[in-house]
Amino acid sequence: MAELIGGCGTSHVPSIGIALDRGLQDTPDWKPFFDGYIPAKQWIAEQKPDIAIVIFNDHGNAFFLDRVPTLALGVAEEYQIIDEGWGKRDIPSFKGAADFSWHLADAMVEGHFDPLICREIELDHGIQVPMELFFGRPEEWPVKIVPIFVNTVQYPIPTPQRMWELGQLLRKAIESWAGEERIVVFGTGGLTHQLQGARAGFMNREADKAWLAEIGPNPEKYRDWTREQFVETFGSEGAELIMWLVMRAAMDADVRTVMSHYYAPASMTGAGMVVLENEALATEEAA
Amino acid sequence: MSASKPDTLASDGAKTPIPDTPLFDRAGSHRGYEMNKMAMSLVSAANREAFAADEEAYLDRYKLSPEQRAAVLARDWQEMVRLGGNIFYILKISALDPMPVTAIGAAQVGMEHEDFLVERLGKERKNG
Ligand SMILES: [Fe+2]
Repeated sequence: MAELIGGCGTSHVPSIGIALDRGLQDTPDWKPFFDGYIPAKQWIAEQKPDIAIVIFNDHGNAFFLDRVPTLALGVAEEYQIIDEGWGKRDIPSFKGAADFSWHLADAMVEGHFDPLICREIELDHGIQVPMELFFGRPEEWPVKIVPIFVNTVQYPIPTPQRMWELGQLLRKAIESWAGEERIVVFGTGGLTHQLQGARAGFMNREADKAWLAEIGPNPEKYRDWTREQFVETFGSEGAELIMWLVMRAAMDADVRTVMSHYYAPASMTGAGMVVLENEALATEEAA
Repeated sequence: MSASKPDTLASDGAKTPIPDTPLFDRAGSHRGYEMNKMAMSLVSAANREAFAADEEAYLDRYKLSPEQRAAVLARDWQEMVRLGGNIFYILKISALDPMPVTAIGAAQVGMEHEDFLVERLGKERKNG
């Protein structure tokens, strides 16, 4: 049976990618941010996952407003890097875990989630940046990916409760998968940011830190929030954090927060990550 | 699943507006569609070249309102958002004459960039 080795939540701010492209990791503005990810890189290098399931949103790159899928699922063998308007970034394309993706497509439809199935689609910073933060800049990515796209751009965006249920379904799909792969789940986006309107630049460091501390031990609190609470607390774009709930619900009720990191502002955004392991798994390893 | 509090955020936005927080809802999406479509087209290098060569002629390809057209030409970010521009699309216009997203944020608030960095984002003041 496949093994769920952990769940990671992380920001996916585009300026992180730009900082890497320009070699700014060691400048005063960026060093504290990137240094905080060193343990996460070590953790994932030791864990050696085969498949990364990444929940993220497209930022008006692969999808325009002519058609906005609330949920979409990539089933491709390979995903190219998209040109977001500044030229295509020089990072490797992603290999897809197509067999698992199709298994998940079946599980989703049978479980009454009905995603747009994407056979050929390019990926933006929403997925690039988390991969770079955890895997650095390899010649080739050491994992195959399963991208799950969530609309967080145009209202109505899905509810936090629906994200939670999707995570529960994802867990079942991992458990019913016949393969032997080691699987990691990434919930991405956030933390606080608002890029539009007179409240642009809104920062809520306290709420960000509470989120990072509580998403492991106390996720029901956030699952039961309304979308308005997310927008109010984390900003109009910070509401992306609902996508971490998919990751969290895919994990056991009892998890251990292996590490977390917070830095603000990265560009205009509260930025950070958590790494969660199922408590049962941690006990097993200690034994 | 426990029933959560009533959630009134939908395609017509929030029933209780969140102050100074425009939500990209049906009305905004409708209002800004052509402007966002024009901005989206700039993901193609050929279109970026055409835009850079002759902005007016490039904008003629899309059905922008006179207000939207003026806002794009003036790079008036506050106005673009008011007219239905969504940041993820209109940001692509900024790739033509690169500026940091924080400067676009400051412009929307009507603050000097440095003040915005300090007062909103909590960075240390560098000048003055
Ligand atoms: Fe995002």
